[in-house]
Amino acid sequence: MTNVATGAGTATTGAQIVSEDDVVRVEDLRLSFYTTLGVVRALNGVSFNIPRGKVLGVVGESGCGKSQTGLSIMQLTPGRIEGGRILFREFNTSEEIDIVKLDKNGPEMRKIRGNHISMIFQEPMTSLNPCYTVGHQIEEAILLHQTQDKAEARRRAVDILRKVGMPNPERIADSYPHQLSGGMRQRAMIAMALSCNPTLLIADEPTTALDVTTEAQILDLMRELQHEIGTSIMFITHNMGVVAQMCDEVAVMYLGRIIERAAVDDIFYNPKHPYTISLLRSIPRLGVARGQKLESIKGTVPDPYSTVPGCPFHPRCPAAIPGLCDAVMPDEVFVDGSRTHTVRCHLYT
Amino acid sequence: MDTAQKNGKSDEILLEVRGLKKHFPIQSGFLRRVTGYVKAVDGIDFYIKKGETLGLVGESGCGKSTTGRTILRLLDPTAGEIIFDDPNIGKVDLAKLNRAQLKRVRPNMQIIFQDPFSSLNPRLTVGQIVGEPLEIQKVASGQALKDRVAELLQEVGIRPENMTRYPHAFSGGQRQRIGIARALALNPKLIVCDEPVSALDVSIQAQVLNLLEDLQEKYDLTYLFIAHDLSVVEHISDRVAVMYVGYIVEMASTEQLYYHPKHPYTEALLAAIPKPDPRKRTRPIKLPGDVPSPANPPSGCYFHPRCRYAEEICKVERPPLRDIGGEHWVACHFAEKLQLQGVTPLNEIPLVELPKRQATAPATTAAAT
Repeated sequence: MTNVATGAGTATTGAQIVSEDDVVRVEDLRLSFYTTLGVVRALNGVSFNIPRGKVLGVVGESGCGKSQTGLSIMQLTPGRIEGGRILFREFNTSEEIDIVKLDKNGPEMRKIRGNHISMIFQEPMTSLNPCYTVGHQIEEAILLHQTQDKAEARRRAVDILRKVGMPNPERIADSYPHQLSGGMRQRAMIAMALSCNPTLLIADEPTTALDVTTEAQILDLMRELQHEIGTSIMFITHNMGVVAQMCDEVAVMYLGRIIERAAVDDIFYNPKHPYTISLLRSIPRLGVARGQKLESIKGTVPDPYSTVPGCPFHPRCPAAIPGLCDAVMPDEVFVDGSRTHTVRCHLYT
Repeated sequence: MDTAQKNGKSDEILLEVRGLKKHFPIQSGFLRRVTGYVKAVDGIDFYIKKGETLGLVGESGCGKSTTGRTILRLLDPTAGEIIFDDPNIGKVDLAKLNRAQLKRVRPNMQIIFQDPFSSLNPRLTVGQIVGEPLEIQKVASGQALKDRVAELLQEVGIRPENMTRYPHAFSGGQRQRIGIARALALNPKLIVCDEPVSALDVSIQAQVLNLLEDLQEKYDLTYLFIAHDLSVVEHISDRVAVMYVGYIVEMASTEQLYYHPKHPYTEALLAAIPKPDPRKRTRPIKLPGDVPSPANPPSGCYFHPRCRYAEEICKVERPPLRDIGGEHWVACHFAEKLQLQGVTPLNEIPLVELPKRQATAPATTAAAT
């Protein structure tokens, strides 16, 4: 058994799930932040694919790198990408573009960003510009990527607002963000993100700031639109309930690595990694074991400046094997001969 | 309401709230004239029995936090009575007490805040934060104070050596534990938990919920647990009250409320919970429009513009909160007639056992690498 923490690149690709028609294939992505306090290795070799027309859920606790993965695909991350490839394929083309190689501010990247790949952010309050009307902000993207005709852009903006279930789209297009409620703002954000019919939509905790009833309606809307437009969605969240309701496939992240990847049904009914299992055991379930203690994962996520030798989860893992888990980084392997379920854990190697 | 409470249980009631109102004035113009009121809490009645946990749920802006703060007199109520059974003084109406009298009752009622990042003073050490209530109430000083603080920190799972450190050195979950230690300092009877776990990660949330349950058992605490996560509330509460625009619309035991809801708003809330089971995908009940503003609420039942069962009477007359049997309180004209859908238990998903290849292996052993 070799220490793969250093040479993970070649070792991991052996067990990576790929499909015939991937919109995005991320290979061994590494991202670091150089701060005055030290280097934070945010992503340590992340590999995954997003099949066309599917919803991939990315789950994990704060600081596990799920948002940075999304931002890297958009080339919006403030960190430094130190290795790996992000291969992106548009609708109806077979040509793959490596986003990592593109200039952040160059014309190719600007053509992709907001047009072929768009993003919804967590805070609908802070991600809309308070100085412009909602309609203006949606038209901006359309004018940039789709048409030069202002009247046409306006028509499309109102159309898309109607599509996301706004009661009075003409009036909403002329309102400023502060005049709308949180749920309405998030709908406006979704409208903006979908205005150019993107190939991939990255949704970074789109419902975390919303109330349950609003959340349920936004999720319902996203599901409907996804069926209609056929967009692939990368759905970043920490809520296992939302994952179960929304996603087709799930990638579980821990400290900058994907530690388990499977179809949503397998993640909930046949989880393999001790972290995934513990996460599922720690959420309160309706009608189950009321009055009993919840199981919790002991300890906390280690401090980002430190590096954990071996498997990053071993200090908190109830099944850790001394001498192995704390020394050697496990490879990503297929579970029980399945071609759709991978796990990164010594229990299965 | 009074009759039900006096059915032999009145001696066990720790806190009883009657007709509690909290209105915030809206000022406008140069002279800051009062042009209206935000009726954040508009006449609510409930009671909490000793040693139980009452969950208080509702959407943002429905007045649940205002209720919690008004009960502790962190906000002064506009009207109503807050009758607290103080172990030393006996029953007192908190709404009528002055500063000096309040100070005598305060040790018995404490609060845990939502945001562990803003509720701890960054300029005080953890020891000072937890010791402050003890100093203010002159319970302990000097070495005795230090010992008590160390004991409290130990109780919530923080190493007492950390007493001299500042809050920034701790993670969110640890800070919430410090907040809990501060609330426990004076051996309170009632703790208002205002969204204590909503800012925490899932794994940490379970730790803090377990801690709250352990402490409740050990010190016979009574909780008013304010939250918007309905799965968490179901787990921890004995009874649950649902608020909508300043009113309690339904209050019942947890089983009754979750499995046999009687108010259409409760039904919609329950349907909206994202259930962690991919084989049970649910579609939400469409609630048209937004939550009305408490400054300008609709006529009649506040929920009628969004309610799919609404009839003429709902537009005109506001239904009172009434007991339909078995301490199940509902404010709906059609509570008895409606057949509403509760939640279905999520017991199909297997709770997967953690794999154990080496059962004896202690996880934290610093084995030779």
